[in-house]
Amino acid sequence: MLGLAKGLGYTFKKLTEKKVTHFYPDVPFPMPPRFRGIQHFSPEKCIVCNQCARICPTECIQLTGKPHPDPEKKGKIIDTYDINFELCILCDLCTEVCPTEAIVMTNNFELAAYSRDELYKNLKWLDDNNTNVREEN
Amino acid sequence: MNTLLQQAPSWGTTLWFIIAAVLLLAVVLGFVTYAIYFERKVIGWMQLRIGPNRVGPLGLLQTVADVAKLLLKEDVRPQHADKALFTLAPILAYAPAFAVLAVMPFSESIQFADLGIGLLYYIALSGITVLGVITAGWASNNKYSLIGGLRSAAQMISYEVPLVMSVVGIVLLTGSMNLEDIVKAQQDVWNIVPQFIGFAVFIIAAQAELNRTPFDLPEAESELVGGYHVEYSGFRFAMFMLAEYVYMFGMGALITILFLGGWLPIHPSLDFIPGIVWFILKFSLYVFLQFWIRATMPRLRVDQLMSFAWKVLLPVALFNILLTAVVVSYQNGMF
Amino acid sequence: MNHNILTTHVDTSSETGLRTEEMLLNVGPQHPSTHGVFRLVVKIDGETIKEAIPVMGYLHRGTEKLAENLTYTQIIPYTDRMDYVSAMTNNYVLCHAVETMMGLEIPERAQFLRLIAMELNRVASHLVWWGTYLLDIGAMGPFLYAFRDRETILDLFNELCGARMTFNYMRVGGVKWDAPPGWIDKAKEFVQYMKKELNNYHQLVTGNEIFINRLRGIGKFDTKTALDYSLSGVMLRSTGVKWDLRKDEPYCIYDRFEFDVPTATEGDCMARYHLRMAEIEQSLRILEQALEQFPSEGEVMGKVPRVIRPPAGEAYVRIESPRGEIGCYIASQGKDKPWRLKFRRPSFTNLQILPKLLQGENLANMVAILGSIDIVLGEVDC
Repeated sequence: MLGLAKGLGYTFKKLTEKKVTHFYPDVPFPMPPRFRGIQHFSPEKCIVCNQCARICPTECIQLTGKPHPDPEKKGKIIDTYDINFELCILCDLCTEVCPTEAIVMTNNFELAAYSRDELYKNLKWLDDNNTNVREEN
Repeated sequence: MNTLLQQAPSWGTTLWFIIAAVLLLAVVLGFVTYAIYFERKVIGWMQLRIGPNRVGPLGLLQTVADVAKLLLKEDVRPQHADKALFTLAPILAYAPAFAVLAVMPFSESIQFADLGIGLLYYIALSGITVLGVITAGWASNNKYSLIGGLRSAAQMISYEVPLVMSVVGIVLLTGSMNLEDIVKAQQDVWNIVPQFIGFAVFIIAAQAELNRTPFDLPEAESELVGGYHVEYSGFRFAMFMLAEYVYMFGMGALITILFLGGWLPIHPSLDFIPGIVWFILKFSLYVFLQFWIRATMPRLRVDQLMSFAWKVLLPVALFNILLTAVVVSYQNGMF
Repeated sequence: MNHNILTTHVDTSSETGLRTEEMLLNVGPQHPSTHGVFRLVVKIDGETIKEAIPVMGYLHRGTEKLAENLTYTQIIPYTDRMDYVSAMTNNYVLCHAVETMMGLEIPERAQFLRLIAMELNRVASHLVWWGTYLLDIGAMGPFLYAFRDRETILDLFNELCGARMTFNYMRVGGVKWDAPPGWIDKAKEFVQYMKKELNNYHQLVTGNEIFINRLRGIGKFDTKTALDYSLSGVMLRSTGVKWDLRKDEPYCIYDRFEFDVPTATEGDCMARYHLRMAEIEQSLRILEQALEQFPSEGEVMGKVPRVIRPPAGEAYVRIESPRGEIGCYIASQGKDKPWRLKFRRPSFTNLQILPKLLQGENLANMVAILGSIDIVLGEVDC
């Protein structure tokens, strides 16, 4: 009987204790600076080295480059850049290998969508996803 | 009400009965709505959550929304279920739970039928609910339901015995089975004091009768998924839910009347507070205890449950009867 | 199998003339107490289990086969998804295997971070187990208390590596991130808090008579059976075998810290409950020391070649995960991808004893026994 009473005492004490519920959709949930959210991609920094596409364990990154429009300059610039968030596991490896920090993580994490098609994010979308960008990569 | 009952039946009196019954139903439904709300809030607070807070101010309309959703749902009946029994079961479970309320004296003036054998009536009718549960378990044609239904049959029949035995002491003390008389006999001291053993047995057995934690084996979510009402949904499920809470309402009222002095105040000097308020206060205390236990206790196992009923509760209840009988005889100068 | 579980025995010989029949019951794959997509076909006579056959593989993703086409760095995120309740140990076992093959030196600070992360994860994992086990037994309060405290650990991990469950924190040769400023202090604070909270847990549950009666003597087996079934972790220690790889084959830097290996001799569910609770205590003890001795500076990544190519050959390493002995076998041909990768998953191995334990038990005990094995379906099915 003592054990039962002790348990009841414990739960009764909790009745008035501070609640831990976070009012998430009403109040945004702050994530720590290192949080791995949806990537931000800045096309001007990209050198089309393909490392991100190669390191990706789920092969969810597809990119194509085109020759630099200014014939004086060497190298390529990015043409299309797509991440398939059906597959992406936000493992951080693409941002880890990127030599120019063209692809970086942000703190945004809300990806829910009504259609699977919406999970294919293209260059423009990733470029516009420029809030809460992670500082340290 | 009593004068109406004694009149010759006519359309007029029948109408009054119907109005009174609908009124009581409305009160009971209101209770159930807010008992569920209160339960979720209390358990939420105990678990460091805040409970329902989205529908209506402070979430007060949460249960209303839930019930509305249940009523609007498609009426699903499993293909191989026994159609007649499947439909009958929720009614069978709910009707007696509601019918027992007829004899409850909620205060000196609010009572529907002043039956001489009110206590017996309660116990007899509440025994029918188990039929509804077994029927539901059988008719659903689901193995989990069947196990749940049979567990429930075993449990409710076993615990009925100590439950009845534990109130015999009160009947001996009072010399009446009329619930109003029982309350009036507690003018000096509530039955919880002289009948403490009976009270302890009653409250445990009541818990098992109500299928509530720690005796919620027939529903046992983690073992039987949902027990006898796995296959029920929509308004039929709502009926079972309703039966459970109305039964809790009945049991709470009975405990208040039998052991906690019904509408009587704690001290005669507090007489100016209306009896119904006292009744509600004591009643709420019991309901709160229910929720509190639910937030704390794990579940018993089926074999332990049975041996506990027959090997512990029943002997204790019998001992209580013996003790009470000896004391009452002594007081009456038989020794 | 020379008999089919699907044949149920019909008994008409009873003296009362009643016809009784055994019943087949599918527990799962969608059942609240199987902790994931696990199915158990049980043949019951009333509520007594005659026979039980576990059906696994609903969550099989072929990690081991997939790994053959991935570089070693790429496999790490996959290991997160095996034992998702305690991903740090999985991260470690893979990195440890590769490091063993390549003979890499791991910097001191990285070792500390790894150990702290693993032990925190062990506490988190046992908390999940504690909460869900009590949920199985029928009490729902503990689940929420446990998850509140686990949340603190997950928040710590979130700050450390940017994810709450799928950490991808360790790398071959070290760890990805150094501890952020103030993190060590937060972890210290948590350890002190958790020590106090653990007493509350005991107050709430351990002394509860209903709980004790439900677990004592249930799911019992002896040392020989445990060894025959090659059980590990708490399942083995509950029978009295003092076997903890952190002590017996020290890896990482476990040999530097003082801690006990709690054992019990009863071999029942209650013993396993007590052992897991005691393990939380020991983990907190290790954490306390490790956080105190944490080096103030240093590298977190060792000198690792740009492309990780373990020499041709094979290696098997094993460590103590919260569930038991997790092992990683790598067969390399000197390329940047493994030729064959094999994980010894403790959940899978420990689960094999289930049909034996369930025989003749009550249906209600099934839940208690299954819960006490502490399986994670991501790991069972891999």
